[in-house]
Amino acid sequence: MNMVSQLAVEAPPSVSIKGLTKRFGALTALDDVAMEIRPGAFHALLGENGAGKSTLVKCLMGTYRADAGHVLIDGQEASIASPRDAQRLGLGMVYQHFTLVSSMTVAENLVQGEAGLGAIIDWPARRERLTAFMADMPFRLELDRQVSTLSAGEKQKLEILKQLHLGSRFLVLDEPTSVLTPDEADQILGLMHQLTDAGRISVVLISHKLREVEAYADEVTVLRQGRLAGRGQVGSLDRSDMVRMMVGEDQLAASAPRVTHDAGEALLSVRGLSVEDDKGVPAVRDLTLDVRSGEIVGIAGVSGNGQTEFVEVLAGQRAETGGHIEAGGRRYGKTRAEMRALGIKLLPEAPLDNACVRGMSVAENLSLRTYDTEPMARGGIWLNRAEMRKRAAGLIARFHIKTQGPDAAIETLSGGNVQRTVLARELSEKARILIVQNPCFGLDLKAVAEIRRQIVDARNEGTAVLLISEDLDEILELADRILVMSDGRIVYETPRSEADLQEIGHHMAHHEE
Amino acid sequence: MNSVEAVAINAAAFVITLALFGIYVATLGHNPLDVYYVLWLGSFARQISIESTLTNAAPLMLTALCTAIPARAGLLVIGGEGALVVGGVATVLAGMLVAGAPFLVGVTFMSLAGALAGGLWIAFAGALRQYRGVNETISTLLLNYIAIAVMYHLITGPMRDWERVLKTSSWSIPDALRVGALPVIDVHWGLAAGIVVCLILYVVMRRTTFGFGVDVLGGNPRAAQMAGLPINRMVLICCFMGGAAAGLAGAFEVTAVHGFASESLVVGFGYAGILVAFLSRQNPAAIIFLAIILGGVAASGGLLQRRFDLPDATTQVLQGLLFMIVLASNAAYGRLNVFQPAAWRTA
Amino acid sequence: MEGTELGWWGVLIAVIGGAIRVSTPYLFVSLGETLTEKSGRVNLGLEGVLVMGAMSGYATAVLTGQPWLGVLVAGCAGALLSLVHALVCSLPRVNDIAVGIALFIFGTGLAFFLGKPFINPSAPRLPDLDLGWWSDSPHIQSALQISPLFLFGFALALFLAWALKNTRWGLVLRTVGDSSEAAQALGYNITLVRIAGTVAGGFLAGVGGSYLSLYFPGTWNEGLSSGQGLMAVALVIFARWDPVRCFYASLLFGGATALGPALQSAGVTANYYLYGAAPYFLTLAVLIYSASPRKALEGAPGEVSISR
Repeated sequence: MNMVSQLAVEAPPSVSIKGLTKRFGALTALDDVAMEIRPGAFHALLGENGAGKSTLVKCLMGTYRADAGHVLIDGQEASIASPRDAQRLGLGMVYQHFTLVSSMTVAENLVQGEAGLGAIIDWPARRERLTAFMADMPFRLELDRQVSTLSAGEKQKLEILKQLHLGSRFLVLDEPTSVLTPDEADQILGLMHQLTDAGRISVVLISHKLREVEAYADEVTVLRQGRLAGRGQVGSLDRSDMVRMMVGEDQLAASAPRVTHDAGEALLSVRGLSVEDDKGVPAVRDLTLDVRSGEIVGIAGVSGNGQTEFVEVLAGQRAETGGHIEAGGRRYGKTRAEMRALGIKLLPEAPLDNACVRGMSVAENLSLRTYDTEPMARGGIWLNRAEMRKRAAGLIARFHIKTQGPDAAIETLSGGNVQRTVLARELSEKARILIVQNPCFGLDLKAVAEIRRQIVDARNEGTAVLLISEDLDEILELADRILVMSDGRIVYETPRSEADLQEIGHHMAHHEE
Repeated sequence: MNSVEAVAINAAAFVITLALFGIYVATLGHNPLDVYYVLWLGSFARQISIESTLTNAAPLMLTALCTAIPARAGLLVIGGEGALVVGGVATVLAGMLVAGAPFLVGVTFMSLAGALAGGLWIAFAGALRQYRGVNETISTLLLNYIAIAVMYHLITGPMRDWERVLKTSSWSIPDALRVGALPVIDVHWGLAAGIVVCLILYVVMRRTTFGFGVDVLGGNPRAAQMAGLPINRMVLICCFMGGAAAGLAGAFEVTAVHGFASESLVVGFGYAGILVAFLSRQNPAAIIFLAIILGGVAASGGLLQRRFDLPDATTQVLQGLLFMIVLASNAAYGRLNVFQPAAWRTA
Repeated sequence: MEGTELGWWGVLIAVIGGAIRVSTPYLFVSLGETLTEKSGRVNLGLEGVLVMGAMSGYATAVLTGQPWLGVLVAGCAGALLSLVHALVCSLPRVNDIAVGIALFIFGTGLAFFLGKPFINPSAPRLPDLDLGWWSDSPHIQSALQISPLFLFGFALALFLAWALKNTRWGLVLRTVGDSSEAAQALGYNITLVRIAGTVAGGFLAGVGGSYLSLYFPGTWNEGLSSGQGLMAVALVIFARWDPVRCFYASLLFGGATALGPALQSAGVTANYYLYGAAPYFLTLAVLIYSASPRKALEGAPGEVSISR
């Protein structure tokens, strides 16, 4: 690990944030927040989704302008108006992998944004330096590989390499482990920890995973609803203290009672399914599985291992290249008639983009499955918008959707309420087969508990549920049977009773070796 | 996005276009107010100018549908010019076939032939997009050039009327099958057809489950796929309906205006129709009014050119300018607080 | 085939010569569109820009007697017209393809509008380079009469291919065109880069237009361009956004365009309009071939909306 010696002798800056406030319209995303990061600290920024963590670091990185408050770097007030200013001050942010240019090579991505890059790039000299830089890194990437061919973990590594190469001494890692296997996460966070221990860089780890915070961070700052909820040394806080800081004193809905029963007949069967991604590369390979009535089958896996393409095939959004799907014992052609007859319902990830029409109202979005049936369509042809609104009003009340009313545009709803809207639509009629992907991504804990409860209720009533999630905890909580998907294949299966975190994590990493 | 807002923003776009044009004419040494007066004179001031305006508006309504209907399904089709030409040629062929048939039968047959040809023409572009992933904007624009080339090929060779010396044209349809003027006003029946087709399509798009499905598809194809809608079929139907409307425009240009296919079919009705479709925000009922307004601009073009000694391209410049300003005005939607229900957006 | 001593060979030589002669506008427009699309926007209005360039170049040459000044003015006119596209597209919620259609209508209209007085006067032509001196055949000599603009376009294609990989500007342009998130994180001014890409593309398309009016066919009238600007946009897809492949594709399209006149000069006059439509058919065929219903287009910049 002599990369430490490679980094410039310059020490990381001390960063202190004072009274930071940021508003978006009527919403106050950050309210008078203070934070102190001493040089060489491994500092965790903890909070639920929507607590203001991203807003805080985006203000620090110059992506947003704060409405009030200031940032002191080494005691000097700093004005950070753009990411470039932040870079000049040695502040760098590692995104999940949004800042890489996928059509470019590793070398081109590393050189990007380098200070003092001349108008004409002297590639031989640059490559020599990059090769030397890479040689000292514990994880290496070939300089000539195109980024689009890298795995999610490799992209994450490239993001970190890029920041170190740019000379950042203060790194913000934005939920870095959500796209990594547990082993990769430990490897990367371990390396970061060595660097902070050596006093060469400071790290701010944004996370909502307490395990990671306890294992790697020295100090922690907790945000809740845009306000500072607490801070301290990780060593002197226990888990319950941190949870209380994160969620407040509110009681969470208890997890849904699970009826014990034997699973029934197989309602959804996938047989030898193969699918290609947008570039024509195989994403799902020869996948076979069954989901039976009254059970939740959970598919765990690191994102980018074919889950999205698999769900898209089930949703009719992508064509399979081989194999087939059976529903209710017959070949499934993904037509509206079959969906209705078999009660096939779906809650895909990013529901606003995948399952809603932005320009349409909540009522119209709630009617996508039923607009052509009585009473909303007379004779199957003439729309009855009054009925549509009436039915929508009922669903809004039943599923606690927060909206101005049935006529409000779906875009005006918060993420959690969009999720509820889609769930209301999909569960308003009897679902025999329910396919759910990352249902709780980006939601606060209360909404999470509510949505998980709905899923378990459906299972208790005999629905066959296929749950695809990147959140291993979610799978462990909900699934009756756990499958691990890696590189487009199911590589491991275990019943809930015998599930072992280490074993599952190992199989998630399967293809990396 | 409410309609009061749309009308206000469109009106502002018109005013800005006219103001810019007025400034230009002023630099040539004319009084801009005279220009506006001539525009009014040539379009709506007298019965004869109203008739000329409506005669121009009739094909515009139909070619506008060629862009508007596929646009509701999320396609940007600009093949109205080609569909009109193809429809016109098919009408001539059909007219030859039914020479001697009773008037109503013959005209119906010719109109259907024109509509069918135009419909298939644009449906072909729709099929290329759905089954091959070919960008429909580029393919329909190319199909315009192809349609025109094919028409020139036919009217200079296989379908040429060698008797007519002064003008290259196809054979003429039988005189007995020529369509006349509406009662009361001297405008051909194409106007009635345009209005009726616009109204029917308005009802189809706004009041039926098919129209709702198309709006879902146009709003988000992934949501439409998830809902199990028959997307390919819907796209083909929308393209067919739009193309059929433009083909019908070609049919009336032949049966009611020219009597034959010639370069007179290629006068930019298709391109002006795109502008009408954008102005109407793809609403078939609004197309009726906007086609009449743009028909007025076209009708007064000749007078404008003569009076102020401007080139023929004046109308096209005005249309292009208006188009650009209308697109730019998209940025204004939702910005004007007057049109927003109080405190609508919370987070 | 009486009347031509070379028969089909004559047609072939005429097609090759024609390909070289006709390809230049395709080349300039497609290189321009490549720059624009690399920045993440589509300018479908380059047909209008091309015609505007043809008109302004011709008018300048008529007024000053300097054809090379005409080329420069044509480029500037093209840049100016594309600036309209660039600025309108920088507004929120504006669709770049629709703006391209508007620019197509507006640009051709404006060119005819302003160019009317220049239809009759004749302008000095751009000079030739005679590369066929070694041959006795008049056919080969005429086929190898080449405009300096053609060679310049070839050099430009090589330069752009190099510059996209080896200059900072190239990397910035590709980043902005491929991922606005990445560009934002690096602190690039996305709007400004896209405006620059569109304006530079318009300059090249304008130069391509001046070739039409000042070299071949070397006149100014309203039927001067028949969709070359549009076809060049489709050609970029075929060339997979690669400047050097744009050069090859331009030659192919030039050959298709030259087919009709070549056959006519060989005495085949039937079906003239159908042969004239060959480039449109070729473009459509090439689009059908390049596209795929499942995959995204190969080599397409990530932010470009034409590939989805």
